Amino acid sequence: MIASLSRTLPEHSNDGYVAAAYIVFFAIVLIYVAIMAVRLGRVERKVEALRVDATKSDIPPRARGGIADLDEPNPRPERPDRGQEHALKGVPHGGGQAGETV
Amino acid sequence: MRSPSLRALSIATVLAFCVSLSLVFFYAPIEAEEGFLQKIFYLHVPLAIVTLCGFVIGGLMAIAHLRTRDARWDLRSYVTIHMSLIFGVAVLITGSIWARGSWGHWWVWSEPTLVSFLIVMLLYATYQPLRFAIEDPERQARYASVFAITAGAFVPMNFLAVRLSASYLHPRVLGSSSNLPAPMALTFLVSIVAIALLFTTLCSYELAAKRTRILLKARSRILGYQS
Repeated sequence: MIASLSRTLPEHSNDGYVAAAYIVFFAIVLIYVAIMAVRLGRVERKVEALRVDATKSDIPPRARGGIADLDEPNPRPERPDRGQEHALKGVPHGGGQAGETV
Repeated sequence: MRSPSLRALSIATVLAFCVSLSLVFFYAPIEAEEGFLQKIFYLHVPLAIVTLCGFVIGGLMAIAHLRTRDARWDLRSYVTIHMSLIFGVAVLITGSIWARGSWGHWWVWSEPTLVSFLIVMLLYATYQPLRFAIEDPERQARYASVFAITAGAFVPMNFLAVRLSASYLHPRVLGSSSNLPAPMALTFLVSIVAIALLFTTLCSYELAAKRTRILLKARSRILGYQS
């Protein structure tokens, strides 16, 4: 459609290759975004389950608040707050499981 | 993950892509030799530039990790290289399509730019197996950083070696021999900005997702769950 609308397009051209290149690129991006969306959905379900369990059990309010924080919009994702920073530093190097750095 | 900065970055990326595609198909003139096929250039070359820059930036972040021992730099380095690998696959595929249309072959082994990019990709293809073959998280991060720095230093050297080689089948875009007309140069620059914004946005989303997963695991441990 773009090719037919383009005023710079000559009558006979290799527009199939151009279309293929752009379609492949956008397909790769779409597949990646779809995988991200599936993984995000999984994380959100875990957060929800944790929050429900935390409110039911005798978990101290401080720890429970941490779970609630996960669902809040993060104003500055590049610089987590002090508690998050501690968790990020602590998890990979502080006796975490293999592969937890990523 | 629903931060205003991420939303703004996403909107900027979509807008940049709209402008870029409009310029590519409605503003940039048809190239005399290749015709309409040359439109792949505005996708393929910016992708390649952003990919190679991503590898180098991943190396710089790895240096920051080794200097500070801050795990967040390792995470950033990993995400940048991971994203560069995905973009690199797109570079190889779009390059092959362009080669098929232009030269009649999907791959030309005598072309140094193609082969050198493939070598860089194969080098970085070993990054993740190397990383996840190490169980201890601290060693994993340290070894991955050393790899990222070494491979990141190889990228510009490889680029220079190709530039200095004798045969030039690939058109030179940047540098003294650049002969792009102004509308093509403008379209090319806007395309680079759009691809770079897309790279940054996807990296930011990936980083936010990984941070959330790490926090979730940490909080699960605090609460005594096995996630």
